[in-house]
Amino acid sequence: MKRALKILPLILTVLACDPEPVLLEQSQVIADAGYTGIYVLSEGLFNQNNSSLAWIDFGIGQPDSWNPSAGRSFDCFEKVNGRRIGDTANDMILYGSRLYIAVSESSTIEILDASTCRSVSQIPLQRNGVASQPRRLTANGGFVYVCCFDGTVTRIDTLTMQADATITVGRNPDGICCANGKLYVSNSGGLDTQNPDNTVSVIDISTFTETNRITVRENPGSIYADGTSVYVVSRGIFDYGTMNYDSRLHRIDTETDQVTATFDIPVLNMDIVDGKAWFYGYGAGGTIQILDLATGQVTDSDFITDGTRVECPYSIKVEPTSRKVYVCDAMDYVTPGSLLCFSPEGRLLYRVPGIGINPNTVVFCDADVTLTQYQGEPEIIGDIDRVFEYMPAPGQFVNLLPKYEPGDDAASMAAKCLKVLQSGGMVTLGAFGGYITAGFNATVQNQEGPDFRIDGNAYNGNAESGVVWVSADANGNGQPDDAWYEIWGSEQKAGRATPGYAITYRKPAAQDGNSEWRGSDNRTGSILHNTFHSQPYYPQWYSIDSISFTATLLPDNVEFTNNVYVMSSFEYGYVDNKPDSPENSAFDIDWAVKPDGTPANLTSIDFVRIQNGVIGCNTTTGELSTEVSAIYNLNRPVE
Amino acid sequence: MSFDVKYCLIAICTLCFHLETQGQVLSDTMRTKDIPQVTVTSDRTNSPGAVSASKRADARLMQATGTLQVSDVIKYMSGATVKDYGGVGGLKTVSVRGLGASHTAVAYDGIIITDNQTGQIDLGKFSASQAESVRMVSGPDNDLLQPASLAAQAAVISINTGLPQLKEGKSRNSAQLKYGSFNTLSAQAESAFKAGQSNTVSLQAEWLKTKGDYPYMQNNGASSIEMRRDNSDVQRLRVEGALHSNLSDNSRLTTRAYWFQSEQGLPANILYNENAARERLWNRNGFVQSTLTTSVSHRLTLRFNAKYGITYTRYLDPKVSNTQGRTDNRYTEQEGYLSGVALYRITDCLSASAGVDGHLSGLDGNGADQARPTRYTLNSTAAIKYASEQITVTGRLNHVITKEKTILRQAAESYNHLSPTAGLNWTVWPAAGLHLRASYSNTLRLPTFNDLYFEQIGRRDLRPERASVTSAGMVIENEAAGIRYSVYADAYNCDVKDRIMAVPGKNTAVWMMKNIGLVTTHGLETGLELHALQGLVRPALLVSYTYQRSMDKSDSNSSTWNHQLPYTPRHSASAVTWIETPYVNASLNLLYSGEYFCNGYNGPEYRMPRYYELGCSLWRTFSIKSFDISLKAECINLTDSRYELVRNYPMPGRQVRLTATIEL
Repeated sequence: MKRALKILPLILTVLACDPEPVLLEQSQVIADAGYTGIYVLSEGLFNQNNSSLAWIDFGIGQPDSWNPSAGRSFDCFEKVNGRRIGDTANDMILYGSRLYIAVSESSTIEILDASTCRSVSQIPLQRNGVASQPRRLTANGGFVYVCCFDGTVTRIDTLTMQADATITVGRNPDGICCANGKLYVSNSGGLDTQNPDNTVSVIDISTFTETNRITVRENPGSIYADGTSVYVVSRGIFDYGTMNYDSRLHRIDTETDQVTATFDIPVLNMDIVDGKAWFYGYGAGGTIQILDLATGQVTDSDFITDGTRVECPYSIKVEPTSRKVYVCDAMDYVTPGSLLCFSPEGRLLYRVPGIGINPNTVVFCDADVTLTQYQGEPEIIGDIDRVFEYMPAPGQFVNLLPKYEPGDDAASMAAKCLKVLQSGGMVTLGAFGGYITAGFNATVQNQEGPDFRIDGNAYNGNAESGVVWVSADANGNGQPDDAWYEIWGSEQKAGRATPGYAITYRKPAAQDGNSEWRGSDNRTGSILHNTFHSQPYYPQWYSIDSISFTATLLPDNVEFTNNVYVMSSFEYGYVDNKPDSPENSAFDIDWAVKPDGTPANLTSIDFVRIQNGVIGCNTTTGELSTEVSAIYNLNRPVE
Repeated sequence: MSFDVKYCLIAICTLCFHLETQGQVLSDTMRTKDIPQVTVTSDRTNSPGAVSASKRADARLMQATGTLQVSDVIKYMSGATVKDYGGVGGLKTVSVRGLGASHTAVAYDGIIITDNQTGQIDLGKFSASQAESVRMVSGPDNDLLQPASLAAQAAVISINTGLPQLKEGKSRNSAQLKYGSFNTLSAQAESAFKAGQSNTVSLQAEWLKTKGDYPYMQNNGASSIEMRRDNSDVQRLRVEGALHSNLSDNSRLTTRAYWFQSEQGLPANILYNENAARERLWNRNGFVQSTLTTSVSHRLTLRFNAKYGITYTRYLDPKVSNTQGRTDNRYTEQEGYLSGVALYRITDCLSASAGVDGHLSGLDGNGADQARPTRYTLNSTAAIKYASEQITVTGRLNHVITKEKTILRQAAESYNHLSPTAGLNWTVWPAAGLHLRASYSNTLRLPTFNDLYFEQIGRRDLRPERASVTSAGMVIENEAAGIRYSVYADAYNCDVKDRIMAVPGKNTAVWMMKNIGLVTTHGLETGLELHALQGLVRPALLVSYTYQRSMDKSDSNSSTWNHQLPYTPRHSASAVTWIETPYVNASLNLLYSGEYFCNGYNGPEYRMPRYYELGCSLWRTFSIKSFDISLKAECINLTDSRYELVRNYPMPGRQVRLTATIEL
């Protein structure tokens, strides 16, 4: 009888609406010192094309991508780029000023400008027409390395933003990390459930070849570097008796490439800070624990002290300075997940719900982030419409950025440069003295404050500073044949620069030879050919066997400390000197001076020249070469 | 792909031989042929006397709805939800009243089609030309001779081949050619003839080939592109033959041999920036089945069914990053089936029946770690029916017991369950043709082999899913002014308990099958039908509407509490109209589905937009000498409506199809 009665109310509820999803309250976001915010990548559901990216802005104290009416974040990648990332974005790293995202099922690498979230390159990864399925990322020395499920590791040049080499490793790599000048790749062999792989590939970074395979337990997965040690999770063979994995954690000594310890702790995912690992494990539900990696002892079997429940931890990240612990909760895998921030003592500080479906990666970001609504693909980026001269000095990116093809001459290379600059790409000036001359599409008026902007590719510790010259079209013939004035940056102003330094480069006899140079003070050196870039470094369209430049030489900015080269930025006034930003990349026409150093007092300019002002070389990334990207007129007449 | 050519040749050769011998007989009777009388017989699409909502599609309705595959016409039946992956080869499963596809049994000529591996029958594999009619019963059936395994089902879709309609009681031969968009070609030949006094033989062969490369839009904002469906080719061959024997006045035996084979590509789901469909699927299915019905006395009728079937499936992904560099799964499922039902008429009004079905089904495969299970099932049923002029009452008790064996790993425990059903139909107002009906059924579906044993996901400790359905409704069917009209409305409440679903296990890395949750569906099915019975110009109209509110009632703390079941629109409707004239027949059909969700969590990102599909057709039948010729032109999806029924699996846009049939 009871059942029959149920039929009546249903007729009455015919017009009822679907319940709105119930979402948790969002609490106030607390900033972590030194960062402007956090990017959170969510992989979405398999084969639903719904990976997404959220940006939590510490400045506004909530996700910038927060949509109050929906009670959740929108996809800031889609907002900025007018399309979605794709299917199953597995991993993300911030390297330099860019975010690199490995999108497994769509089989692409997305490279985003971290300050705008704009995609600057999308690299499809395929082998013999089959998707490579990129899984995990790591970066070192100007290159990003990605391990792919098809048994390969691909190297991506962060300057050309292209995959430049691929090597094969073991079966179905599921993790990659970098330690001691080597890459460690865990070969899971997970596609052979009963016969998984049991090795970790060791790859020498300088030659990009696999040098060793370390045997571990079956089915190795996540892999982590900590100083000279590498930790790898080995899941073992699936046990149909217990219907579970029996997982262990190995320690590998990167000096000897031997497994030195195996802990009987079923780690699923962890993050290491100061020899301690915050982890969640197999069979442990939502419990976060802390492991002392020196002893292999769990020092805290339940990190969360205030009773906060994490339904399904999907990612864990510890901020090294504040020791705050960020945990992504995937909930039930179909509901948009949450980001939870815990104090070092394990108390919940705040929770951001609705961050995305299956959030899997947290990245701390220090760039000034501005997200703008997609307005259609810009036809032309920047405000130049002519490149008059492209005269690079020899360099490892010369003939590559832009690419030289047989038959090219000075005019066709200049045309290629214009195309590259107008599409937001990168032009190299080669070593010291190399330059480019471009014309604005409208006169740049000298107004209060900055007047024009030139982007480069600098990031902190990698300044390759170029000196700027400007000129007004005084005779009105449209050609840059008028007086040129130097823009004085911090170094000229302080008297630390050497004006009029002359340098001559010789064309090497061999294609892969070094290009020798001699300066006006009889200093000598050479542009060394390296293993990363195999093309000739001397501009191939030059008909002469030596080339001379005269330029302002800036002080030496290369320092070698703690096994790392640091190319420090100058205070202001140079291209490719500091990470691109409205402030760092801007120039004021008032900074232009006459040859005697007195202000030029220009009311406007029409032409700009950028010339590499540094001589320097480090053995990791090669010689210092200024790279130029988009050039903007900040006082563009209003249309 | 030599197999289809080879088998096709064999089929055509056999048929040609047969046509030749029959031609001589026919020539004698040709001159005396009468001009056929127009009689409308079997348009009754809902049985007004049934205790459960029941819909029937006959050849005429299939003509009018442009049905190529049986699943096409089911879309027009209220209460059914077809999940369609698009194209000829895309999987098409039917869920009735939000119960799920595995609660819907499919029967071929009264014998259940079993797929213990997946539990889901692809109704796209059955061609409209092999079905004389398709019937869907959502609840207990009036038929007391129903075998135990079908009587224990929540809903049954019956594909009936029917008795061949012989011309002048002697023979019937026909050939048909179809050509449609996206390189779709099908050829069919059929022959039926008398063999001796009491036997009728029917033979049918059908071959179909399609490229299926229809265009679709891959929507991704600024990166949207127009693409064509790739790897969507299908080749199919079906050959079947039946022998209908009247052993005596009281005994009828039907034996059928069936062979189906196909090779097809599996189109990939839309994947942004990557589109490499390369998976292949091969199917071979053969069976022999036999039904003997005998009336021992005017009180006692017996029916026996027997079947042996074998299904071979091969799935190939030629490029996988494992050691073999490919995934090549082969499965063979074999079944043996024996069934007996005894019906006893106690009085003129009261009857009782009892039946037993024994079923043996085993799954073998080439995977090293496959369980290789065998299931022995014994279904028993006992039923009672009271049927007077005005009232029909049925009651039934079903019982199932299983035993399971595996070669690898531990087998599931035995299942042992009782499940009752009951029904009532009351002719309240005979003059107006008003019937009230009500039914209750409590049925179950056993876990499939995949649920129990599939790789790391399967769990052997699953319980069966339980469905209980309470339904009440009314039908009016009557005739006035040469028009037969019928109106029906049924409201129901369904609860599916212990649903078997894949959920994360103890951690994120190991998923497992689990009995979880409860789904409650409130629904309403209603429709109107009008048929002109007389006159040179005879129009017909069928309209239906379905309301389904399927709520997840598993856990009030869960984020999916009260959310609508995925792929279940709240509102859906259909309309078919046709007109028959002496010159030409024409039809117009419309399918509409309101919004629905592609996930159990009804977040905005899983919302699927409403869609409609409009179609039309024109056909004409005429005679040249002794040949009856029928020509038909159809346009499917006239407005080129672009939609996805299953997320990321686009449906085809506008298509045309031309059919020519010749009959003698």
